[in-house]
Parts: sequence; C-alpha cells; structure tokens
Amino acid sequence: MVTTVRHYYSVAVCYARMAIQRQLEYPLFLVSWLLMIPIAYFSGLWVLKILTDRFQSLNGWDFSQLAFIYSLGQFSHGLLVVFFITTWYIDGMVIQGEFDRLLLRPMNVFFQLVVSYVNFIGLVDLIPGTILFIYASHLVSFDWSLANILKLILIVIGGMLIRAALFICLSSVSFWTKRSSSLIGFTLNLLERTTMYPLSIYPFVLQMIFTFLIPIGFISFYPASEFLGQSSGFHIPFSMALWTPLVGIVFFVISQLTFNFGMKKYESAGS
Amino acid sequence: MLQAYWYIAKMRILTTIAYRFEVFAAVGSQMIIMLAAVYLWKTAYSGDTSSTTMQLNQIVTYTIISILLGSVFICDVQDTIYHKIREGQIAVDLYRPIMLLGSYLADDLGTMMSSVVNKVLPLFVLASLLFEVPLPDSFTSFLLFVPSCVLSYAILWLLSAIVGLVAFWVMELGNMGMVKDSIVRILSGSIVPLWFFPSSVQTVSQFLPFQYTYQTPLAIYIGEISPLDALTAMGIQFVWIAALYALLYVVWSKAKKKTLIQGG
Amino acid sequence: MAVIEVVDLVKEYMITKKESGLRGSLKSLFFPKKTTIRGVDGISFSIQRGEIVGYIGPNGAGKSTTIKMLTGILHPTSGSIQVCGISPQEDRKSVVRRLGVVFGQRTQLYWDLRLGESFELLRRIYQIDKTEYDETLRILTDVLKLSDFIDTPVRQLSLGQRMRGDLAAAMLHSPEVLFLDEPTIGLDADAKHAIRSFILEINRNRGVTVILTTHDLDDVEQLCSRLIVVNHGKVVEDGPIQSIVGKLAPKRLLVIELQHLGDDLSHPSAEIIKQEGLKIWYQFEKAKITASELISDLSRKLAIQDLSVQEPDIEDAIREVYKTTARI
Repeated sequence: MVTTVRHYYSVAVCYARMAIQRQLEYPLFLVSWLLMIPIAYFSGLWVLKILTDRFQSLNGWDFSQLAFIYSLGQFSHGLLVVFFITTWYIDGMVIQGEFDRLLLRPMNVFFQLVVSYVNFIGLVDLIPGTILFIYASHLVSFDWSLANILKLILIVIGGMLIRAALFICLSSVSFWTKRSSSLIGFTLNLLERTTMYPLSIYPFVLQMIFTFLIPIGFISFYPASEFLGQSSGFHIPFSMALWTPLVGIVFFVISQLTFNFGMKKYESAGS
Repeated sequence: MLQAYWYIAKMRILTTIAYRFEVFAAVGSQMIIMLAAVYLWKTAYSGDTSSTTMQLNQIVTYTIISILLGSVFICDVQDTIYHKIREGQIAVDLYRPIMLLGSYLADDLGTMMSSVVNKVLPLFVLASLLFEVPLPDSFTSFLLFVPSCVLSYAILWLLSAIVGLVAFWVMELGNMGMVKDSIVRILSGSIVPLWFFPSSVQTVSQFLPFQYTYQTPLAIYIGEISPLDALTAMGIQFVWIAALYALLYVVWSKAKKKTLIQGG
Repeated sequence: MAVIEVVDLVKEYMITKKESGLRGSLKSLFFPKKTTIRGVDGISFSIQRGEIVGYIGPNGAGKSTTIKMLTGILHPTSGSIQVCGISPQEDRKSVVRRLGVVFGQRTQLYWDLRLGESFELLRRIYQIDKTEYDETLRILTDVLKLSDFIDTPVRQLSLGQRMRGDLAAAMLHSPEVLFLDEPTIGLDADAKHAIRSFILEINRNRGVTVILTTHDLDDVEQLCSRLIVVNHGKVVEDGPIQSIVGKLAPKRLLVIELQHLGDDLSHPSAEIIKQEGLKIWYQFEKAKITASELISDLSRKLAIQDLSVQEPDIEDAIREVYKTTARI
C-alpha cells in the first residue's frame, strides 16, 4: 500500500516538474490569455454593477454580495483549470486512441490522465478572482477568522471536485458515442451561469435540479448564502463547509465509476 | 467560380449534419446563456424599475434575439487564420486559385446557413415555449432589422478577419481574437444595451464600431429607435464597413507580402 | 512454458454503414444500419521464450487487433490469452510490466518532453531501480546512438530518430516480450538496418521474445525464424519460415546464358517461361528435380556460358498465401 502511494506520488511529481518547465518555455503565449481573462471577468462584474445601480438589488442581493458569490465561484474554477484541465480533453483522447498509451503502462489510467498535465498557467485565472474576493469580502465585512478560512478552503476544494466530476461524467459520454462531445463548452457555460449568480434568480424547478441532481449549487450559492446570511430556498442543516466537500467527494467518486465504465467500453471496442 | 464557393458551403452543411452532438451541445450552451440572461433581467425587474422606461418584455425580446444573432453571426475566419498561421499552412493556401479571404467567407456563410436550421430554429422554438414569442415591435421594424443585421455581420466579419491577420505579426502572444471577443461582447450591447451604461461610456461607444453590431439591429427590432434614426444608424454602419474594408485591404496586402518573403 | 498462449481468440465489431451525399447523410442520421464483423475469427497459437515470430497478413487481416488484445488494450469477445502466464484482461498492470510495445504509426513517447525526460518519466512509472536504469540507458544509448538527440523534444525528432527512441523506451524496463507493430515503416535503409540489428541483439543476448508485425518482407527475412500468417481473422500458416516458403513457392528459377543457340532447349522436368536471345529462364519444382540435375542434363545438350539459380522469394510465398486465402 505504502509503496503504491510512493510510486504514484513520484510519478505525479515528475509530471508536475516537467509541466512547469514546458510552460516556462513559452511565456509570451500568456499575454493574450492574461489580457482576456480580466476583461471577460470584470465585464461580467460590470454587468452586475449596472444592474444593481439601476434596479437596486437582485432578489435581495446587493452589489457587494453579488461580487462575493461571483468571486467565490471563481476560486474553484481556477483550481479546476490548474489541476483538472486534462479532463477537458477526454473526448479527443478517446477518438485519437490516446488511451492506448496509458493502458500500456502499469498504472491506473485515470490517475495518469489527471496527473499528466498540471496547468500552472491556470494560476492566472485565480488572480482577478482573488483580488475581487478580497474587495468583496471587505464590502460585506467578511470575518477573516481561522474557522472561516478553513471553511473557505474546504468549500473551494469541494467546489473544484464537483466541477471536475461534472466534466468527467460528460466527457465520458464520448466512450459510447465515439464522437467529440464538445460538451466542454456547454459545461463551462453551465457552470459559469450557475455559480456567478445566486441560484435564486432561477425558477424553483431549476433550483431543485441544481441542488439534487447536478449539485452545482454547492459550489458557490449555498456557501455564499451561508456566509452572508442570505436565505437560500432550501433549508439545509449543518454548515456548507461540511456539505460542499462531501458532495464533491461523492460526486467525484461517481464520475470515477462512470469513467471506469467508459474505459471498459473503450477496451472492448477499441478506437 | 461561384460553384467552388457553393461547394465549400455545402461541405460545411454536410459536416454540421454529421456532427449532431456538437449541434446539441451548441444549442444547449446558448440555451443556458439565454436562461441565465432572461432570469437575471426578470429578477432585476422585480426590484426598483424607476430608473428605466424600458419594459421587461422588451428587454427579454432584446436578449433572446441577441442570442439568436450570436448563433448566426459566424466569424470563424478569425480562428481559422490564427491556426493556419500557427501551423504554417497559410502559405499553402495562398497557392489556391480562389481568393483566400473569399473562401473563408464562403466557409462562414455555409456554417451560418446550417446554423439557421441547427441553432436558430430550435432556439427560437425553445425560447417561445419557455418565455414568450420574441416578436418584433412592428412590421416596419422587422423590415429595417434584416438589412441592419446584414450590415452588422459585415462589420463583425471584417473585424474578425483583421484581428485574425494580426496574428501574422503577434503570433507568439496567443490568440488575440479571444481578447477582441470579450471586448465586443460587452461593448456591442449584446448582453446589456448600452443605454443602461453610464453616459460617459455611451459617448465613447458612439465613436467605436461595436455598438453598431448588436445594439443597432436589436434596438430596431424592439422599436426603441424610430425608423428615421434607424436609417441614420444603418448609414453609420455603412461608414464603418467601408472603413474596416479599407483597413482589411491594407492589412491583407501587408500580410501577403510578409508571407511571400518569409514563406509562411 | 509458452510465453504467449492464445486459444480460440475471437473479436467482433459492430459497424454502421454510412451513405454519401446530402440525402445519404440525412438517412443515416435517422436510420443507421449496423452490422457485426469478426475482425479476429478463432486464432490460436503459442510462442516459446526466445522466438522471433513474424505475424503477417494483408491489411485488415486482424493483426493489429490481435496485438492490442495481447497487450491488454482491447478485450476479446471470446477465447483466452496468457502472456507470461497471466491474462491481460484480468491483470493488465502485471502483464504490461513485462511487455515492451512499439507502434510504428504512433509513438509511445511524450510529445512535449525531451527524449531523455520521457525516459525519466518511464523510469518512475515502471519503478526501475536507478542503477539498473542507468546501466540499461547507457547500453541503449550506445547501441541505438541516441546521444545526438536525447535532449531534443520528441515532436521535433525525425521518423528514424523517433523509432529508435520508441525502441529504447520499450526496452527500458527490460521486458520479457517485445511487440513491434510496423517498426521500420517509412525508414531509410540505414535506420532499418540499425533497428534490425538491435532486435537481433536483444534477442540473442537477453533472450527477449519478439513478435513482429510488418509489411516489409526484408524485416521478415532477416529477423524471423517463424512465421504466422493471418488472413480474414484466421491463421492460415504457422511454421518455420523455410518450410512455409518451400511449401507455398516450390518453384525455382534457373537462368542460363548460351554460347550459341541449340536445337532442343526443352527439358521434361522444366518449363521455359522466358527467352531473350541467348538467355533462357527455366522454371522447375524442387521436389521433382534438383538444380544440379537440371544443370547437368541441360549442359549435355547445350553449350552453357553462364548460369544462375534463383530461390523463391518470401514475397512470392506471401502473395501465394494471400491469393489462396482470398478465395475463402
């Protein structure tokens, strides 16, 4: 058991080291990315500002609270982009038969997939989010106690797992359809629109779906509601700091099972 | 000659039919965006509406049509040029007998035609079922709307071609098209009409081409602009088209010269 | 004990038929037609340690499919496989540890990394002991002449360099069995020679069992002691190279050049298939008459200036096999 862990750890570290080297070689490439991210990001926020200026509040959420939920959602997104960006390419890999190479190695295929590329450039995504969160938390007088910081960390990691699980499940569809699913763009939009605004703007049916079927609400809405003392439709007992990571782990395990199921299909049908 | 372009467009349509999952995913994507936008507005309007004269149903129609236009205004030329330059393919393409930019336009028009069937139709139906049928303000509005759209597309396409060609000089910086898209998205009024923005922004925007891409036809559609103002706006669209066409011509000649010297 | 044991291997596929044109595309959108085909239809063979076996057949015969099943990438529909006594379907990781695989069409290396870095990664993945790794790498670098490009990113390597890199990568963990799928495809004569001598050497010095699929019959001739020929998913020939060739292409050619034309050129056991002036091609069967007998017979009545005997070609033999089995 210990040797296995050490084995996997050494492989992960090796990959990470090489990923950094690779990404450091083309720094200029970052420029367009660096320009686009803040523009996209702040324009989204600008829209909220304009709306709240005109209409005072959205369902009882004022601008500072909207900024809070917006930036909270961005943290788990940023972490996803750093650690799980390989999940966006699963469908392409299925079609190109790239999994053959992973199957030829004496290691778990999913692990190889995730660990093979750590996208350090994604850390850039986190910068505007962090700035905004600090600003927003100042506006809402967020209490930076140790307990709250711990809660935040758990929630952000849980959020990352929920997001990753969603991408994995949807990408795994290509194991059966043998097609580029291009569900990645769809999923990105879905996640974006449901984590940057409070879920309460959506009708009840959608809120149900995003709580019980595809637990996106746990990424930013329920945690933010809890921190800010906002009502959130369903009364969920215990703290989000418990629920979000729990939901994240469970959903992630489900996505793993889906992926393994898909791999069996790949192994029986080839590419 | 025209046959060649038709063939290109037909290939696009065939490809799109073959990739039905992509189509579902694209429609799904746009639906999500539409849902989010409309519900956001509905929530907003449930608050204090004293600062605006616009009705909720008007802004909902505006949003829905904006998304339909977004599905139909295909400007893949931007990414196509960027990737061809990156892969060194552009020199090969310059040897083909038909005008390169013309073929890219044919590509995009072909995609547009299939988008109308694949995306606009289902989106229109879904939107009508979920919210309300996004009807134009009057028949006149619709009549003026259509040519304005054509002009909008021209502006967008020319802009995309220019930005794509810029890659000839700044390829290492990555895909600048993404940057331009983010700017266009907000300043074109596609998400929020510009008259909601502070007046300083509105003044600046009048001198930029962006608001004439989405806001102009959309405003015509929902009847926010009188027919006379609409014609004026279309006149301005024409001016921008001319300016951008000239710019494209210059950039294109420079790019061609650069390739022929450096070899792709 | 056999290193590889395959019994009644079957692999079935479902494919959808698509039609061309706009109308066809619309039809297959709503009414897709599916059929089942047997890519591998009951293949059995067993390979002993230290053999170099050529696994050949025309395109679509089921070669790559078999290899994929042997290496655990694909699961068979039915039948059993044992590699080093383990079933790849049941314990992929254990089997794969003992295998080295080189796919000619696709690299096993990591595209963005430098060659040496790919090796480093593989060292950790296969948990190779550092001293053993250093030694193995040294030998491989030497034999395959990797030092020139070991610091080049894999995507910048030429085909020949990449193949050598792939071979080294496949051997790093000292596997017992090496699968080679079209290893010399697209390579120049020099590169081919280097790779062939490498394969012979590891087989001789390290006892590595080699299974080779290839279209290059020079590969087969120079490397393989045994040939398994497949067509339409079935084994059609399995045995030592010489006997297959002898069995399928039993005809030899005797080419003689006369000093002057004789009246009677014929011979009861040989057929004249070509004549160009004073040069005559005689075709005869080994079983019926030996070359020396034919030569002495002919020299009694003809004035022979020069002669040569041509052995049947592997190519002829293989062509024969494909021809006969095509009628199945």
